[in-house]
Amino acid sequence: REEKQLELTLEALISQVADLKNSLVSFIYKLENEYDRLTWPSVLDSFALLSGQLNTLNKVLKHEKTPLLRNQVIIPLVLSPDRDEEIMRQTEGRVPVFSHEVVPDHLRTKPDPEVEEQEKQLITDAARISPDVAQKQIQSLNKMCSNLLEKISKEERESESGGLRQNKQTFNPADTNALVAAVAFGKGLSNRRPPGSGGSVQSGQPGAGAIIAGASGMQQVPMSGAPAQQQPMLAGVQMAQAGQPGKMPSGIKTNIKSASMHPYQR
Amino acid sequence: MEAPPVTMMPVTGGTINMMEYLLQGSVLDQSLESLLHRLRGLCDNMEPETFLDHEMVFLLKGQQASPFVLRARRSIDKSGMPWHLRYLGQPEIGDKNRHALVRNCVDIATSDNLTDFLVEMGFRMDHEFVAKGHVFRKGIMKIVVYKIFRILMPGNTDNIEPLSLSYLVELNVVAPAGQDVVSDDMRNFAEQLKPLVHLEKIDPKRLM
Repeated sequence: REEKQLELTLEALISQVADLKNSLVSFIYKLENEYDRLTWPSVLDSFALLSGQLNTLNKVLKHEKTPLLRNQVIIPLVLSPDRDEEIMRQTEGRVPVFSHEVVPDHLRTKPDPEVEEQEKQLITDAARISPDVAQKQIQSLNKMCSNLLEKISKEERESESGGLRQNKQTFNPADTNALVAAVAFGKGLSNRRPPGSGGSVQSGQPGAGAIIAGASGMQQVPMSGAPAQQQPMLAGVQMAQAGQPGKMPSGIKTNIKSASMHPYQR
Repeated sequence: MEAPPVTMMPVTGGTINMMEYLLQGSVLDQSLESLLHRLRGLCDNMEPETFLDHEMVFLLKGQQASPFVLRARRSIDKSGMPWHLRYLGQPEIGDKNRHALVRNCVDIATSDNLTDFLVEMGFRMDHEFVAKGHVFRKGIMKIVVYKIFRILMPGNTDNIEPLSLSYLVELNVVAPAGQDVVSDDMRNFAEQLKPLVHLEKIDPKRLM
């Protein structure tokens, strides 16, 4: 049963390592051949891929069904300086000979001597500082990391919304309201209304312009009678088209009311 | 505009109660082309139809506080089309679930002495405007994208200026009363226009 498990684990490991090797190969190819066209996001992608694969490899190793590989020992049984076809095939031509030079490199379990030295140094350094100093160092590292993360996420959020605002302003809500009001009850459309809709009403009245020009001269006179005088003339223009003499009194009344509200706001 | 729709409901005398379901939004001039492309893709396959209409709104001020409003619309560019007289009621205060503005609607095609008739009846023109734009159709839904022009000289439809830098987009359906499933269809369609245009129910009374 343990042998079965070992076999399965080995197979899983082999497939993971093969994936890793493939992504490394493609990355190296990319770096060597497309270095002038390479963009940082693409390099990041390759690194992310590699890191993901290393992660899965780790997970396989930590999996509960994996027997303790520590307890297994690999011993080379035969070392020969002759070319071995089997090995050649398995390693895709990279290891032609299973000999004395190749074996220490490939079957090594301890890291390089220099690396071992550095690791020993670091371990003694770490053991030397007292626990609370170590704790403080850990805390400050954590704080700096979280600050950096916050800054990055804020920047990302701001630039995203800024970009959105620039690109996607396809409608203006104020315009929507203005247009709906115009269609629903004529806000901003009627010539009779005093300038509730801004200066463009003044600019666009060539027909009744003469009357209004005369009337605005009268508006300077601080009498509420003056606005009343200009409105019947305007009403007269409108009513001439409608042909309803009976309606004129009520028309004048409403116009006077709306005009006397702002005689000086022009 | 189109002739009044035919209904399947039995006509038991009196008027057939048709309701207009409406969603409105707007789109800026520079984004008009993308909206038209999208509509051309989404809507029924027909020749893109443009229109140039002159609409006059007539009021009858009676003893009641609120005047009676009738809208008369004529086509400026298409000759031989009848005038279109339309009555729109107050928006129904439905529940919040209804996604579109619903109001009673009566559409009548008339001959071209409509304005004289209305004036003789006692109506008075309140305002008028020119609408120029495109019409699309999808099933029973009608999508109209048009620009409103202010008429500078009363009665003269050549001297016009645009009211704003946007086009008004309206999605409306005229259907018999009580078919609320229509508003769900409208909302689904409005979703498809989402980032370009926000079609929503806008209560005109809020904008007074």
